[in-house]
Amino acid sequence: MIEVKGLTKSLPNGRKLLDDIGFKVKKGEFVGILGPSGAGKTLTLRCLNGLLKPDSGSVIVQDELGKKHDICKIDKKELRQVRQRIGVIFQGYHLVKRLSVLENVMIGRLGQISTLRSILYGFTDKEAEEALLALEKVKIAHMAQSRTGNLSGGEMQRVAIARAIFQSPTLLIADEPISNLDPSNAKVIMKLIRPLSEHIPVVGVFHQPEMTAKYCTRVIAIKDGKVIYDGDPKLSNKRLEEIYGEELGQLEQYEYNAPALAINEEIRLL
Amino acid sequence: MTRSDFSFKRYRKWVIPLVLLAAVTEGAAIVCGATFGKLEEGLIKGAAFFRFMFPPDWAAFSEMLEPAFQSIMIAFLGTVFGTLLSIVFAVLASSNLAPGWVRNSARFLIGLERSIPEIVILLLMIAAFGLGPMPGIIALSLGCVGMLGKLLADIIEDLDPVMMESMESVGANKMQVIVFGVLPQILPNLISYSLFRLEINIRLSVLLGAVGAGGIGYELDYSFNMLQYHRAFTALLVVVVMVFGTERLSYILRKNIKMEGALK
Repeated sequence: MIEVKGLTKSLPNGRKLLDDIGFKVKKGEFVGILGPSGAGKTLTLRCLNGLLKPDSGSVIVQDELGKKHDICKIDKKELRQVRQRIGVIFQGYHLVKRLSVLENVMIGRLGQISTLRSILYGFTDKEAEEALLALEKVKIAHMAQSRTGNLSGGEMQRVAIARAIFQSPTLLIADEPISNLDPSNAKVIMKLIRPLSEHIPVVGVFHQPEMTAKYCTRVIAIKDGKVIYDGDPKLSNKRLEEIYGEELGQLEQYEYNAPALAINEEIRLL
Repeated sequence: MTRSDFSFKRYRKWVIPLVLLAAVTEGAAIVCGATFGKLEEGLIKGAAFFRFMFPPDWAAFSEMLEPAFQSIMIAFLGTVFGTLLSIVFAVLASSNLAPGWVRNSARFLIGLERSIPEIVILLLMIAAFGLGPMPGIIALSLGCVGMLGKLLADIIEDLDPVMMESMESVGANKMQVIVFGVLPQILPNLISYSLFRLEINIRLSVLLGAVGAGGIGYELDYSFNMLQYHRAFTALLVVVVMVFGTERLSYILRKNIKMEGALK
């Protein structure tokens, strides 16, 4: 379970980036966060595992023993401990490209083993087996020994999911995990993430309402740093317009003012 | 384009800089006492001297092998320790791994080191360790830091920040981020730069040898001082072969290191 309450973050000039964001995600839920660019989706997500400290508010997560932690208030050491059980998938598959696929999966456990053992790359056979199992779950166990940099985007994102699975997380966060992928790879990734939500809460930021409608159990829409919608993943056109409307409007306005259009107009008049 | 673009007028902008350059060159030559007469005189003397050195003393050749090997080993040890030291300094001098004040102090030390010639470091080290290979090794190691430390730190600062963030977000500590994220990514550059530095260090170890670090440089200096010019010539030939050989070897090795993806 993860509970977000009253997240607020402002720029020094007073502009509010996050304005009283609050929601609660239980296990069994796959929540997709939607919203126009710059609305504060990724910012919210970064607060969930402490990559960003909000000005106020709290993010309560439960660790594997059921103990509750407030990510916004704990110190560095405790944060590192809590993070061991939070799986994170990033937009651009930011893996260590020169390490093997298996080693990248192993990185998922770094927080859970001693520094001395880890810097000698001293993983046990049991850990290697579990890492392979995680790779099997995302169907790329046969690539375990390949250099990660040689994989395609979709394959790298699967490695990132395997790494998260290998963490045996109590919470999974995904920041635009399918934005850089083609539609079929995007579907594969969504199909791999979806079943994970049966055991743990999953929160992801997405740009594709049709994908969240299909795979998520719930959608939260954020606009201007506020939650403007929280509920059924299938959104009506009117609702979509409400969420993305202003962005579309700005785009149209921009096109209207674009100099290229003005020149076309002149040519037409001539 | 007009006719005037091809007239001699287009050379006008060069007149003042060239006159200035000529004046400064003349001034510098007067200050140093350098004249063409002296150059001619020196060339004639040098040629005579070279004739005098010829032929090399091949009997001394076998005596040169051990000092030559020692010079290479001084360079090798200097490069190994220097590279290790450079990694430490590079990590400390990277804004994405160290706090601001640590980074700036480390960068300052690296810059300071770079501004001191190896030969000066050697003289300081000889004061501490006495004559012999040891001060040479230390001088070369410290010499590495000025160059490799800066180059590696710049590469580390260019690494993908989200890659490092993603490691921190599984609860990895700084040490683990360095070992799993930073080192594998900078490894090709690290190897390539230290091989390049090895080339430089072999040349420097000859020079440092003449000043008191032993090796082939000492043989060269000693033979000249003892007026054994044929022997000095042998030493000179060994130096040329040694430097040229290691340079080729290092070039071939560096060419075969795959650089692709190193900075991604």
